[in-house]
Amino acid sequence: MLDLLAYDFMQRSLLAAAMVGGLCSIIGVFVVLRGLAFVGAGSSHAAFAGVALGYLLGWPPLLLAIVFGLATVWITGWMEEQGRMKLDVSIGILYTATMALGILFIGLMKSYNAEVYGYLFGSVLSVTPDELHTIGALSILVLGLIVVFSKELYFIAFDQEMAEASGVPARQVYFLLLTLVALTVVVSLKTVGAILVFAMILIPASTAYQLTHSLRTLTLYSAMIGISTSVAGVLISALWDIPSGPAIVLLSTGIFFISIFVSPKRVKTASTAHVH
Amino acid sequence: MADPQEPIIRFDHASFGFPGLIALDDISLTIHDGEFVGVIGPNGSGKTTLCRAVLGLLAPIEGHLHIFDCACDELRCHHRAMIGYLPQKGVVDRNFPVTVLETVLMGRYGALGLFKRPGRKDHDIALEALDQVGMAAHKDGALGQLSGGQQQRVFIARALAQQPKVLILDEPTTGLDITTQHNVIELVQHLHAELKITILLITHDINMIRSKVDRFVLLKTRLFAAGPPSEVLKPDILQQVYGKDLVITEKDLVIVEDYHHHH
Repeated sequence: MLDLLAYDFMQRSLLAAAMVGGLCSIIGVFVVLRGLAFVGAGSSHAAFAGVALGYLLGWPPLLLAIVFGLATVWITGWMEEQGRMKLDVSIGILYTATMALGILFIGLMKSYNAEVYGYLFGSVLSVTPDELHTIGALSILVLGLIVVFSKELYFIAFDQEMAEASGVPARQVYFLLLTLVALTVVVSLKTVGAILVFAMILIPASTAYQLTHSLRTLTLYSAMIGISTSVAGVLISALWDIPSGPAIVLLSTGIFFISIFVSPKRVKTASTAHVH
Repeated sequence: MADPQEPIIRFDHASFGFPGLIALDDISLTIHDGEFVGVIGPNGSGKTTLCRAVLGLLAPIEGHLHIFDCACDELRCHHRAMIGYLPQKGVVDRNFPVTVLETVLMGRYGALGLFKRPGRKDHDIALEALDQVGMAAHKDGALGQLSGGQQQRVFIARALAQQPKVLILDEPTTGLDITTQHNVIELVQHLHAELKITILLITHDINMIRSKVDRFVLLKTRLFAAGPPSEVLKPDILQQVYGKDLVITEKDLVIVEDYHHHH
């Protein structure tokens, strides 16, 4: 295993996995608490359509992924605000429509393009130095915004109307959160792929949710679980020669199920039930 | 302390809702500093709309609403941060993974503004608020593990952490057992007396608060009455709003028959 770590590609993939794992798991806290799980899935498929269009037109794929991802979450947020449509319905429609666009763009390509499929299924072991820089820059941007607006983000995740009534610009913060979700998805596309990024966002936060009652601790646990499962997943993937995306996701899913069984919330609920 | 007669909330021929669906119609009402006001009326009569309007969550479609006699009609004028709010039970996810102190600290966020973190002073204010509602011992406990009455106290503490001049409580006793209901009302009365906070309390339980409030505001889309309990709780006035669902017993208890729990 130490031999593996000597390779540049291996160092790059571990770094990329750690950044993506950390980012996804931290934004995931707000996604899980605010009930935006489906939005994460929708924006990842939209971002993939952007990547496919990028390859089709010869434009930068990540740039178009950002455009598609942002457009999807903003339209969803706007429709929800107008009260015309429930969030799950509008995202369900956009989710499948953008996936259809992605398939259409791939179909329009004259030759088979393996790189596009890399964005669908993820290929962290082939991350280039340039891509690593992009991932790093976007991660710093998203994490920086989360840190700066953390108290507002927690408040709207808890109770958006209350936040607004207390004088927090809740609407703007909500759109900021949607934007951060879309950016996180784009950052993660290359590493875990459009299909599995959803799990990277949801699982660490849901696991941490089982283990604590405190918001701060929840975020800390989620980040620790996200980073460690991503790094471990990449190592397993390289050692056993299996795809990295599934290795990361299945590993964190396993930990999630363990957390359900050892959850102190279950224990506490059981003991208070005895007292009363 | 300001002059108790100073008007702090002034509805001036204000209507709320959407064209075609008016929730509150042509309301003119002045609430003075230090008053304890009970807002009553049947389900769907616009009680919650009245609160949301004062909180700046919706704008009048006609007329004006002045808060602290601020001239502006801006919805989220900074004055609104001085209004504490206890939302109806069921609006908030009470299993949210948050500690009691973290919950109360959120009351400071609006006043802190963007880019500022809660400091020593905010922690002290939050702890004092918890002390005022008798929940200081639970500060590190999980919100979701508390009983309904205790959670209600924590949410009142969150509103107090805003250091409000006005406290709005939307059906604070719904879903609590009788003893706890009385405890919550006693707490509100205590806060009103000790902290001189203006109280707007929405309830369907007229009898529970009739001896505590200075004035009742009786709503059913329009404002039917506003005055001391002795003036508002008269059969002919209540009849206009509650119709045949109203029963007044010999002991002068007001019973509204059709009240259904929707929570």
